[in-house]
Amino acid sequence: MTVETPISSDLIRGHIDTIVLGLLSGQDRYGYEICKQVGILSDGDYELKEPTLYSAFRRMEAAGLISSYWGEESQGGRRKYYRIAPEGRETYLRNLEDWKRARTLIDRLVSGESEKE
Amino acid sequence: MEAIKYYVKGAFVGIAETPAVVEQQEELISDLTAKVADLVADGRSKEEALGMAIASMGDLSGLVKEFATEEPAVPAAPAEPVAPPAVFVEAYTARLRLHVVAISVGLSIGALFVLTILGVSTGAVNGAAAAADMLLGIAGLAWIAYTVRVIHAKPCVVEEVELRSGANLRNPLLQWIGVCIFALLANTIISGEFWAWTVWVGATAWPLSFYVEQRLLAAGKFLHPKVEAPADSVSAESNAACTATSVCA
Repeated sequence: MTVETPISSDLIRGHIDTIVLGLLSGQDRYGYEICKQVGILSDGDYELKEPTLYSAFRRMEAAGLISSYWGEESQGGRRKYYRIAPEGRETYLRNLEDWKRARTLIDRLVSGESEKE
Repeated sequence: MEAIKYYVKGAFVGIAETPAVVEQQEELISDLTAKVADLVADGRSKEEALGMAIASMGDLSGLVKEFATEEPAVPAAPAEPVAPPAVFVEAYTARLRLHVVAISVGLSIGALFVLTILGVSTGAVNGAAAAADMLLGIAGLAWIAYTVRVIHAKPCVVEEVELRSGANLRNPLLQWIGVCIFALLANTIISGEFWAWTVWVGATAWPLSFYVEQRLLAAGKFLHPKVEAPADSVSAESNAACTATSVCA
């Protein structure tokens, strides 16, 4: 995990919820586990900061997309696990579809601009 | 791992320790501890691992602020304007009503007759207005007679009476205005001479009665005295006294 983030975090910020929901759709996870998983999936190119993640947790829990429960005792205290709710799965699939369509569209628009110039 | 606890608790200085805040702290401490343990497992020294974990955690102030903004939102919520609760007092309603009706009807009918006499002397009052005068006078007397009958039937009945605020007095006023408009419309449709004014003046007895009632109650008239002794025995006593003498207080 590198401390520097080569990818502009502004580009990713709007997709934090989708990333977290995607990681939760397979299994329940605790906060640090998600940060670690993001580091692994991005080969260290992107680091998800804990405050960003916890803000997303709070927002999505308030919206009913995820729920949380306290898990087993580790050396640092209890771990808080997050579970995706059915509404969260719907949101995840919708966001994924939106992203795929946006990606195709933006690809076309961006390359069209560069060809003109 | 006391250093982690100090770091996390320190970030929340000045924030009320609500259950949500304590849970967030516990979660942060447990996650930071796991991170430090991972770094130590990678061969870092404990101090180095702690420094790296805290550095990679980044700025906590944004997250902490979310909890700070929650706090004042809770007491601010009930600050919306709420209608004042209705206030009720116990009063001898039969006697109260008689006085209210006698005063308000007396005033409005009195005003009506004074105006009629003035109108007759200046030739402004016509037959229709005089007829309406007569009817209103009879209605007013019937209203007073009704309250007198009530006071003979149940002289000592104690009921709750609402103390009305200015907003509640608006309704009888609006009703009175409604009567005025209705009388004016009826006047134009029937197209007799202008007799509607007698109805307006006579109908002021209605808002006036509410006003008089409030003034009497505010002055402490006809209020049922608050009893300290057991309510049952006292009310039975006063009822007995009532039926015997027809005087309540």
